[in-house]
Amino acid sequence: MMERRTSRRSFMQQSAGLAALAAGVGGLSARAFADRSKELNILCWEGYNSAQVLDPFRESTGATVKAESLTNDPTMIDRLRAGETKVWDLINVNNPWARKVMFPEKLIKPLDRASMEPYFEKMLPMFKPPYKWAMDDSGKELLGMCQRFGPYSYVVNTDKISRKTAEDQGWDLFNDAANAGKYGILDSADWNVFNICVIAGFDPFKPRGEAEVAKFTETAKKVFKNAKVVGDIATMNQALIAGEIDFHMTGGTYSASPARADGHQNIRGITPLKGPLEGGKGGISWIEVTSTVNNPDLSPLAVEFLKHVQDPAVAHTVAFAEGTFNPVAQMANPDCFKLFTKDELDAIQWDSLDEEMARSVEYDVVPDYDKLLEIMNSAKREVSGG
Amino acid sequence: MAMLRQPGPRNAIPLMLLMLVGFAAPLLAVIGFSLVPARSFSLWQMPTLENYAGVFSGTNYISFVYSLVFAALTVIVLAVVCYPVALGLVRVFGKWSMFMSLLFTIPLFVSENVRLYGWVLFFIKNGVLLGTLKTIGIEPESWLFTQSIILFGMVYVYLPFMLFPMTLGISMVPKETRDAAFDLGATRWQVFREVDLPLSMPGITIGFLLSFVLAVGAIAEAKVLGGQRIIPVTHDIEIAFTYAQNWPMGSALSVLLMLVVGVLVLVVLRRFDLDTILGKK
Repeated sequence: MMERRTSRRSFMQQSAGLAALAAGVGGLSARAFADRSKELNILCWEGYNSAQVLDPFRESTGATVKAESLTNDPTMIDRLRAGETKVWDLINVNNPWARKVMFPEKLIKPLDRASMEPYFEKMLPMFKPPYKWAMDDSGKELLGMCQRFGPYSYVVNTDKISRKTAEDQGWDLFNDAANAGKYGILDSADWNVFNICVIAGFDPFKPRGEAEVAKFTETAKKVFKNAKVVGDIATMNQALIAGEIDFHMTGGTYSASPARADGHQNIRGITPLKGPLEGGKGGISWIEVTSTVNNPDLSPLAVEFLKHVQDPAVAHTVAFAEGTFNPVAQMANPDCFKLFTKDELDAIQWDSLDEEMARSVEYDVVPDYDKLLEIMNSAKREVSGG
Repeated sequence: MAMLRQPGPRNAIPLMLLMLVGFAAPLLAVIGFSLVPARSFSLWQMPTLENYAGVFSGTNYISFVYSLVFAALTVIVLAVVCYPVALGLVRVFGKWSMFMSLLFTIPLFVSENVRLYGWVLFFIKNGVLLGTLKTIGIEPESWLFTQSIILFGMVYVYLPFMLFPMTLGISMVPKETRDAAFDLGATRWQVFREVDLPLSMPGITIGFLLSFVLAVGAIAEAKVLGGQRIIPVTHDIEIAFTYAQNWPMGSALSVLLMLVVGVLVLVVLRRFDLDTILGKK
C-alpha cells in the first residue's frame, strides 16, 4: 500500500484552506440568519394562509411568505413554547392568549402603539382603543391587531327548529332527551369543553369545585351519547343540509357561513338569550388577535403585514378568504363595508351580529382545561358505539 | 472491525445507516417518549411507566377493543367475500387471474378519504341512494353514522389487500393435484377441504394478516362514514398527539399497538415460509 506523507507545508496549506472554507460557510449561514427582510412566517387560523390574502403581499414585497394554519389555539401556543419562536414572525389566535399567556410568558413582543393604535380608531365601536384584548394587563403595551371575530355557540336548521325556539330554549336543547339522535357535534377540543360546561349549567371560565366536575363528566357522557355524528365543519353543514341532523353544537357564523354563502339560508348560527355565563349570558364569542412573535430575528415584514391586512380591500378579502367567512372589525370603515355584497352580509349574519355579540361573553382561558379535556375524551370513548 | 473488511457488510453500511436514521431512530423516539412523564415534551427525564398504567386504568382499552374487534370482523367479512371471487378469477382467467385481481387495486390510486366522502354522498339522506329511493316513494332510515357502515367502509377499503394474496394462494394449487383427487373418487367438498384449502392456505393467511394489520390502523372510516360512532385506538393516538398535547400517552398507545400487531405477525409468519408462498423455491 502506498504511504501518503503530509509535509508540514502541505498540512499548513490544507488547514488554511479548510479554515477559509469554514469561515465562508459560517459567514454565509450567519448572513442567512440575519437577512430576513424578504421572509415572513405566519402561524394562523385558516384564511390568512390563503393565496387570496398572501399573494398580493408576496407580489408587492417580493417576499417569501409561509403560513401554517392550525385550528386550535393551545396547539399553536405550545409550538411557540416548544422553541418555535425562532421560526414564526406572526401568531394569530383568539383573544385571551396574547394578554393572559403569551405576553407574560414572553412568547410575543409588543407593537409600536403610536403607529398601530390609530387603526383601532377605524374599527367597529367594540374595538375602541385601548381595546382590552389587544393590550397587556398594565394597559401600556399594545400586544396585537384585531380583525376577524364572531359569535360561536350552536347552529340550527331553521326549517326544523325556529330561530326563536332555539334562542329561547338555549343550551337545554342538548339536555332535552327528545333531541337524542337529532344533533351533531363539531369536533373542536376547547370549544366542546366550553359548551359542555354551559350545558351542565356553569361558567367554563371560572374556577370550579368537585361537584361541577362531576356534573361535567355526566353531561359529557350524555351529550356525546345522544349525538348522531361528531365531525368537522363540512360534515356538520352537509348533515344539516341533507336533514341527517337538525342542529349542532359548537358553531356560529364561522362554521355556518360557508353553507349560507352557498344559498342555504336555513342554516343559522344561534346565540341563546340567556345562560350560566357572566351576566346571565348564554353565548360565547371569539375575537382574533394577531401578534408579533418574540423572535430574536423578527422579520421587518411582520408589522408591514399587520398594516397590509388593515387595508379595506384586503380586510374584505380576509373576511371572505377560503374556508370560512367572518365579519371583520374593519367593516366600520365605509370603504370596507361597501365591498360586501348583500349575499355576503347574509352569509355572515350581519343582521343579528350586534345583538349576538351583546349576548355573548368573550372566549377566555379555562382554568382546568387539561383535566376537563381528558374527562371529555374519556367520556366520548366510554359512550362510543352508542 | 474484521467484518468491515469484507465487501458485503462494508457495502451495506449506507443502507444500514439509512435504516438506523429513518426507521430505528423514530421508533426508539416513540418508545422513549412513552417512558417520560405525561404531557412533557423532552425525552431527557426520569423514566416512568405511568403512561402504560394510565392506558390500563383509564378508558383507552375501549378504543383498543374496538380497533381489534372491527379489524377481526373486517377480516372475516373479507374472507367470505373474497374467497369466491378469487376462486372465480383463477378458474375463469387462469394465468391472467393475477392481472385481473390487480385491477381491483385501481381504486387505491384515489385517496382513501376522497373515496369515503364519495360514499357519504351516496348514503346521506337525500343523497344518491336515499334520494333516488325517495322519488319512487321509499324512505328508509339513513345508514350513515352507524357502526355497520364503518365495517362496510373498512371492508371496501381493504378488499384489494385480501383479494390479491388470496388469488395468488389459490393459483398456486396445481391442477394435477385436484384432478388426481377427483380421479381417486373425492367429492367436490373433499377436494375443497383436503386439496384446495390447505394448498392455498399460505396466500389466504397472508391476506388475513395484511388486511388485519391495515384494518387495526384504520381511522378514516370511523371518522368519515361513522361520524365517530366509535373511537378506534388510532384516533386516540391522534388526539393524544394533537389536541391533548400528551405525546407520552400517544407514544404509550402506539407502542402497545405495535406490540399487539408485532406479536401477531411473528406468530403467523413463523408458520409459513414467505419464499415458498412467493414461488421462489
